[in-house]
Amino acid sequence: MNDRDRLTPINRRREYALRWVNDTVVGERFARWLGKVLVNLQLRLVKLRFEGNIPWTPLKRPLAEATVAIVSTAGIHLCSDTPFNLKTDASFRIIRRTDSNTDFCITHEHYDRRDAIRDPNLVFPLERLLELEKEGVIGRVADVHYGFGFTDDPRDLLAPGRKVGSLLAQAGVDLVVLVPA
Amino acid sequence: MGLLAREIEACGVTTVALANVKESAALVKAPRMLYLHWPFGHALGEPNNRDQQRTVLHDVFSMARAAPRPGLIVELPYQWKRQVYQPIDDWTGESQVFASALDRAAHAP
Repeated sequence: MNDRDRLTPINRRREYALRWVNDTVVGERFARWLGKVLVNLQLRLVKLRFEGNIPWTPLKRPLAEATVAIVSTAGIHLCSDTPFNLKTDASFRIIRRTDSNTDFCITHEHYDRRDAIRDPNLVFPLERLLELEKEGVIGRVADVHYGFGFTDDPRDLLAPGRKVGSLLAQAGVDLVVLVPA
Repeated sequence: MGLLAREIEACGVTTVALANVKESAALVKAPRMLYLHWPFGHALGEPNNRDQQRTVLHDVFSMARAAPRPGLIVELPYQWKRQVYQPIDDWTGESQVFASALDRAAHAP
């Protein structure tokens, strides 16, 4: 499968708009502004406030002994798996440490995915972590990692977030790197 | 992103979240965040730029070890394509760039 076939097609006008955002300075500024406004609005609309204590778990062991996992919200999943719903989807997909870049597809309509499918490390740095495991920088790359798609209501992410958290804890993961779209 | 970090951290796992929209990152108050003013879909850098990607991971590890309190957003000053990313010699300590960025974040009002 070539790179283009590993991207779930999105509306053509949207694809052009995203490329404009990615390829031009004006486009990027516009998208940043829009992103900021929309996220603020969204959090306000659903009255989700983050007050009180921020959860805190210090790193339990030295990095060279720690197990590291990735959680990405860039719409990455195995091509053999069910793609995300482009509009909104709070479910997650499992990616194993043994899966390789050519197994990955991207289903997301809010960013220009061309570079990410060329080098999935941009949004899912599995190869980089495996290298660092080999070099002894980190103890271990976890067996299982998680991919999320785009979710338009952040409240929908609370339950799956907690579920993934407990699965990671059960798997003995010490550190999670969260990568956005 | 920050929201997932909070849920995962609450389960007893250390998290470091990368962010590319600063204002939204500030709203969600994740345990540890690294902000990079880089294009969407490029959280780790450019395709096949291994040193750039490893620089970000080095800072992720530094953040996991060194963040002094929850809710800090450390703004990394990397200039996207306009700078050269050096290979990392010492993974056990923080880079100078990260140390000053952390210092700025920790002393921000």
